[in-house]
Amino acid sequence: MNPDATYTLGERLLTLDNVCVRYDRPVLEGVSGHIDDIHREGVQQGQVVCLLGPSGIGKSQLFRCIAGLQKPSAGRVLLNGSQREVRPGEVGVVAQNYPLFNHRTVWGNLMLAARRHGRPAQQARDDCLALLERFGLADSARRHPMMLSGGQRQRVAIAQQLLCSSHFLLMDEPFSGLDPLAKSRVCETLIDVSTTHELNTIIVVTHDIESAIRISDTLWLLGRNRDASGQPAAGAAIQQVVDLAAQGLAWDPDIESRPQFRELAAELKARFETL
Amino acid sequence: MKYANLVLPFTPVRGHWLRILVATQAALALVLWTLAGSRALPSPLEVGAAWLDLVRHQGLLFELWASVKVSLVALALSTLAAVALTCLATAPVFMPLARLSAAMRFLGFAGLTYVFMLMSSDTTALRVAILAFGMFVFMVTALLADLAATSRDQVDHCRTLGMRHWRITGEVVLLGKADVILDLMRQNAAVGWTLLTLVEGLTRAGGGIGALLLNQNRYFLLAGVFAIQLTILVVGLAQDALLALLKEAACPWSTLGKERAGA
Repeated sequence: MNPDATYTLGERLLTLDNVCVRYDRPVLEGVSGHIDDIHREGVQQGQVVCLLGPSGIGKSQLFRCIAGLQKPSAGRVLLNGSQREVRPGEVGVVAQNYPLFNHRTVWGNLMLAARRHGRPAQQARDDCLALLERFGLADSARRHPMMLSGGQRQRVAIAQQLLCSSHFLLMDEPFSGLDPLAKSRVCETLIDVSTTHELNTIIVVTHDIESAIRISDTLWLLGRNRDASGQPAAGAAIQQVVDLAAQGLAWDPDIESRPQFRELAAELKARFETL
Repeated sequence: MKYANLVLPFTPVRGHWLRILVATQAALALVLWTLAGSRALPSPLEVGAAWLDLVRHQGLLFELWASVKVSLVALALSTLAAVALTCLATAPVFMPLARLSAAMRFLGFAGLTYVFMLMSSDTTALRVAILAFGMFVFMVTALLADLAATSRDQVDHCRTLGMRHWRITGEVVLLGKADVILDLMRQNAAVGWTLLTLVEGLTRAGGGIGALLLNQNRYFLLAGVFAIQLTILVVGLAQDALLALLKEAACPWSTLGKERAGA
């Protein structure tokens, strides 16, 4: 058990209320889940939830619904204490290809986001400068996105979304195609973001089980629905919630050295086969 | 670099090698032109003499300036109209109008002259209208193709930043495709010079370098024809270079990360 893993839960920050996405066939059917504010003594502890699931199961559709980019066919995505329906722009989104405006410099990309959120010009400049420093991008402020490495581009995309979202950040496959060192850096960045504000909430869609266990307090396993006889039924939903915080596996910088880490990773890999 | 590699496809060539290749081939072409005397191909000296005669006695430079003005005004008008219509076409209600405009590229100029004549106050206005129409339909076609290639990710990205509707159009189409628009202006400027002869031929009384060219053609003054064509070529290349400089200055991002094969 991680000795620093004591925590309490506060208000509800996000609710997936029976979300369904249907086209000519159901893609998501009855997706329900929630994220609560986690309090830890002496830490600005945000929330990190990883959404795991096989390819083609509907992770991207759920991603778009949580971001407010797509209205579910049925059900709702509710945000914050007031639990009102999500609108585009309230949840920051970092897609897999780290979209940025290539016609603007890094500074221009950040200022655009900061100004869109209604900050006064001086505060927008100060916030952008602070983020550039924090993400090690100060030297790249005048460069265009095409001149950045993949890692720098990802950090700019995160910074841009942090400037204009209300504490929520959705990330699609942030570990895809990265070497182990780069993965570690992304994990550190996400942990850093999640611990800078009590309400910061990161939802990561990924296939990378080890990285997911390393950074998360909760794992959502998205898989096909099944009927009473175990046969595949219409659509997909969250089939299992792994509460890493309750198991004492969250917020441990040395988690990879613990036997429980390897056991859980192996268990989840086996579980993937049946999702 | 091995000389033999110069004939192999996609061989990377440094800048000075490219300049040497261009200079060598230009010199070779000039020598061949000088040596290949025939009735169909006037010599460089004959073309030079005809050029001087056209400048001194037939107002070549004056006619050239008149044509340049028509070409530039038509380019500006067609660009403004095409970009405006493409922006509007991001709203479904305007898409049919944009597609119809693009489809008009199949119409023949001769059949439109009378319509434009009724709408224009003088010869210059008529030429600008016909030329601008000719450029506009091709530019709309190209811009619509580029608009169709806009990914959902780009629009979603704007929406995640809280942008809506026309603000997204402004960011994605106007600013995001500024480099494409300038490239299309370069292409349209070149198309304009090829159309100009036709347009000025339809309204020959108004002068212009196209009318001058047609007059030289009519009397089989081949040296004069070559002199005017070379003048148009030089002006066209200069205009193209200026637009390329403008694009580089206004859209420095557009060439970043794009390595040319063979360069």
